[in-house]
Amino acid sequence: MHPQLESIFNEAENRYLKVEELDPLDQYVTSLPDRLQTYRVLRDRETTIMQAVADSLVTAFPNEKHERLERSIKHAMLVLRYAAMGMLLEDEAFIQNRLKGWLAETVKAYNTYDIERKLYTLLDQQLTNFLNSQQASLLQPMLNLAQATLLGEDQEEEPLTASALGW
Amino acid sequence: MISVADLLVNNRVPGNYFATDAYVRSDLEMGLLENRQGDRLLALPEALIQGIYAGLDKETGQATRLVLYNCGRWWGKNLYSRFVEELTDYYGTPLSDMPMVEFLQSLQNCWRTHGWGKIELDQSFQHRGLLVVKIWNSAYARLAPQSNQPVCQLEAGVLASFFGQLSGRELYCLQTTCESMGADCNRFIIGLPKRIEPAETMVTNMEHDAIMQQLCN
Repeated sequence: MHPQLESIFNEAENRYLKVEELDPLDQYVTSLPDRLQTYRVLRDRETTIMQAVADSLVTAFPNEKHERLERSIKHAMLVLRYAAMGMLLEDEAFIQNRLKGWLAETVKAYNTYDIERKLYTLLDQQLTNFLNSQQASLLQPMLNLAQATLLGEDQEEEPLTASALGW
Repeated sequence: MISVADLLVNNRVPGNYFATDAYVRSDLEMGLLENRQGDRLLALPEALIQGIYAGLDKETGQATRLVLYNCGRWWGKNLYSRFVEELTDYYGTPLSDMPMVEFLQSLQNCWRTHGWGKIELDQSFQHRGLLVVKIWNSAYARLAPQSNQPVCQLEAGVLASFFGQLSGRELYCLQTTCESMGADCNRFIIGLPKRIEPAETMVTNMEHDAIMQQLCN
């Protein structure tokens, strides 16, 4: 759930929400039709978008083993699915929690940084063909966050504590 | 030509099975913790871990270390079975087909999500038949009574049994450094019992690197 809304609902308890507290809810609800539409486009056009990315990637790395490219493409599909869900929920923590300490380690272990950088450039290019500027602006922050997490450009992971688990 | 559609099985891309927010589930009304398969999880209060150490010391004295090691072995055996079952179900491939990198990552995430700290494997001595494991932020080290030797016998047993099951050999695990003694992390050496057991007496007066050197000679 949208973390800011969750905290507002938790704080409100037995009183009415103030005007300024309702603003984020209002903004989120207003943006929801666009978010849903963006999500539908990504869901319905996933194969087309990713096939175009895959074709360009093979051209960009003609001597690379397909196994390595396929692994990165598969991960990019997962990243895009997470980014779509993160965008729908407007929840950056969703993406970080799902990718942190896992996919970044895979990229490191297989040393596919060059492939990943090229792949996400191609993905960004392809997305402009399918999303309008409003839809792209909703998705891009999530995708940027996912890429930063994937390429190890985000901060060191926090230790697992009860508060990190939301308990 | 890479066919994207062929990369998907049942339109599914498996993610991180042990992602904390997906793996740990709680039911406030019932007061239950469960994993994503619906199996029960236990949250251990610090007082209970301290109580286990204190109770074992009172009841079994010097045998405490052996008791903890053997409990760890039992735990490690069950952990391995559950780990294999869950990963096989989720990824839809037998463990033997899973690349080592992904297996190790799953283990690291499993360890972290269960709250046992951060685990790393050093495979640089693999060709000498030894595996070095490093663990950070272990509650079993932090809550153990002060000692002049490493205290993570429970984890040593878990590691011996887990990797023993994985390799199909009887293995022994020796802890060489311990956070409870001011070390940066807990280091464990895993290998065949006849290789590792002679190093047992070196732990109190030798550094980890020196022990490794002795074992490799």
